[in-house]
Amino acid sequence: MSALSFERLGKSYGEAEVVGEVSLTIAEGEFVSLLGPSGCGKTTILRMVAGLVAPSRGRILIGSDDVTSLPPNKRGLGLVFQSYALFPHLTVFENVAFGLRRRKVSGAELDRRVKEALARVRLDAYGERFPRQLSGGQQQRVAIARAIAPQPRVLLFDEPLSNLDAQLRDEMQIELKRLQRGLGITTLFVTHDQGEALSMSDRVCVMAKGVMQQFATPEDIYHRPATGFVASFIGKPNRLQGLVATRDGQGGSLRLGTGLTLPAAHIDAALGARVDVVIRQEAIRLRSGEPGPGALAGTIALRSFSGARVQYVVRLSEGVELIAETPSSGPDSALDPGTPVSLVIDAGSIFAMASEGAAA
Amino acid sequence: MIAPRHGLMLLAPLALVLAGFFLLPVLMMLPTSFREYAPGTGIAPGVWTLENYTRIVTDDYYREVIWRTLGLGLFVTLACLLLGYPLAFLIARGPERWRVPLILLVIFPMMLNLVVRSFGWIALLSNRGLVNNLLIQLGLIATPLKLMFNLTGLMIGLTHIYLPFMVLMLVAAIRNVPRDVEAAAATLGSSRLHVFAAVTLPLSASGILAGSILVFVLTISALVTPRMLGGPTYKVMATLIYDEYMQLLDWPSGSALSFALTAMAIGVIWLSSRLTKRWAGMA
Repeated sequence: MSALSFERLGKSYGEAEVVGEVSLTIAEGEFVSLLGPSGCGKTTILRMVAGLVAPSRGRILIGSDDVTSLPPNKRGLGLVFQSYALFPHLTVFENVAFGLRRRKVSGAELDRRVKEALARVRLDAYGERFPRQLSGGQQQRVAIARAIAPQPRVLLFDEPLSNLDAQLRDEMQIELKRLQRGLGITTLFVTHDQGEALSMSDRVCVMAKGVMQQFATPEDIYHRPATGFVASFIGKPNRLQGLVATRDGQGGSLRLGTGLTLPAAHIDAALGARVDVVIRQEAIRLRSGEPGPGALAGTIALRSFSGARVQYVVRLSEGVELIAETPSSGPDSALDPGTPVSLVIDAGSIFAMASEGAAA
Repeated sequence: MIAPRHGLMLLAPLALVLAGFFLLPVLMMLPTSFREYAPGTGIAPGVWTLENYTRIVTDDYYREVIWRTLGLGLFVTLACLLLGYPLAFLIARGPERWRVPLILLVIFPMMLNLVVRSFGWIALLSNRGLVNNLLIQLGLIATPLKLMFNLTGLMIGLTHIYLPFMVLMLVAAIRNVPRDVEAAAATLGSSRLHVFAAVTLPLSASGILAGSILVFVLTISALVTPRMLGGPTYKVMATLIYDEYMQLLDWPSGSALSFALTAMAIGVIWLSSRLTKRWAGMA
C-alpha cells in the first residue's frame, strides 16, 4: 500500500528546471529522506507535496487520492520547518491545538489530544508558555507536536534539525526516529546531512540538480552507490583527476597522476575519458611498513586527529595525495610524517564519473 | 554594542535641544494654565484657579469640541487602517518590481505643501465644488451635499493626508511576518482567510499599533487642514487652542486645553497599546 507517491513530478521557473521528472513511491509507515546538496530541488519537492508550490508537471498522490491541485489546508499533512514557524502570539498549548481546532475538535477531546502530543515530545509541563520562552530544541519539539497532533496521513520535515547545535541534533535524530516508529506515520524528511538521512531512514532518495540519483536503503546507498554522484556525496570521499585506461564490463581501470593505475568496479565514462575518481577515506586500509602485493606505497604527509578517527594525508610515489582514515586507538594511529605506509583499496570502493570540468 | 555612557553622549545634543526649546517652554505654560484671565486686561496677578480645567469638563461647548476631536481621531485612524492595509499588503507581498513605484506613489502627496493639498479638497468638496457639481449634473442629487465645515470634510481631508504614514508603517510590519508561519497554518488546515485572520493580522499588530498611534496623534493635533476644511466655526481642539491664544488672547484657557489634549493623547495611546498587546500576545 503506497502512502505517498509522485508520478513524473517536476517544477520549472521559466527556463530554469528545478526538479526534472521525479517518480517515487513511499510505503505506508515508511521513513524516507530526500538527500542532496542545496539547490538540488529537494525542498521544492517537499513544498509541492505540502501544496505550497504548484508543480509544473506530474501528479502527487496521497494514498490513492490525487492531491496535485488541492490547496495545503485540504491535504491533511503535517509539516515541520527548519525555522520552527511556531505561532509567536499563541501559547504552546494553542500552537498544538491549532490544527485540531481546524478539524473541529473541541472540549475535553481537544485537551486530551494536545496533552498527548505534548507528552510525546516530553513537553507536558510547557503548555502555558509562549514559544519565545523556549530554547531552540524545545521550540522544534513543539513544532513536531503541532504537526502530529491532528494525526496527519503524511509527515513532512524540511531540514528540521539544521538550526540546532551538533549534540542536540544527534539526540533529536534518535528521538525523532523513535517517535516516527511509535506513531507509524509515513514520513518524508528533507536534509542535506547524510548522517541524518542514513541514520533515520528506511529508504533514502539522493537528488542532484533536480534529478533522482538513487532511491534505496541506507546500506545500499552507502555500499552500492548507483552513480558517481552518490559515491562522491556519501561518506568522506577523496576526489582526484584521472583517465579511463581500460574498460571491462561495468568497471575497468583508471590512470591517476604520472602512472598510478587502479582497478575500479564502477566507471560511468568511456575509454580514454577524463574522469573524477572517487575513493572513500574509510575504504582505504592503511598499514605502516613496506607494501605487499596489490598494495600501494606511500609516505605520511600530515596527521589530523578528530576524536574517534585519525586522518592521514598520504603522498603516493606517482605524485598523488590521498586522505586515509583509521581508528584513533590502534597500532597505526600515531604515525609521524615521513613514515612509509602501505595502502590497500578495494576495486569495489573506487568510482569514476565524467569530469565536471571537461566535456565527456 | 554601545556602552551606556557612550549612548548618553550620543543622545545628549538632541536631549539638550529638546529640553531647552521644547520641554522647558511647555512646563513654563503649566503655571499659566492655573491663572485667571481677565478680558481686556490679561492675566490677573496673584490669582490661582482650577477653573480653566473644570470649565473643560463642565462647559458644553468645550465638551462637544473634545468629543468631536476624539471621534475625528478615531474615524480617521480607522479609515486609514481600512484603506491602508490592503495597499500595504499589496506593496509588501506583491511583485518585487511594483514595490518602489507603489511606495513612491504613496509618499508622492507628501511632497506637496499641506495648504495646497487642503485647498485641493476645498475645490473638490465645497457646495459648488467638483464632487457636488458632478453629482448634480449626473442627476443623482438635487441640492449640494454638505461635505465641508463638518465631520465628513475633516475626515476626508485628514484621512488623505495621513494615509501615507499608516501605509509605510504597515508595509514594514507585513514584510516582517514570516511566510513559514503562514504556511504552517495553511498545512494545519487554515483557509487563506483564516491564515490572514489568525496569523498575518496578529503578527502585523505592531505595525497596526504604531501606524494607528501616529495617525491618531497627528489627527487630533492637526491645525491647518481642520482650519481650512472646517472653517472658523467648526472647531476641533487644535483650532480652538489656536483661537484661545491668538484671537481671544486667553493664554490660561489655551494652556489648560493644550495640557488636556496631551493627557488625552497619552491616555488613548496607553489604552490602545494594552489592548493590542493582549490581542496579539505580545508581552
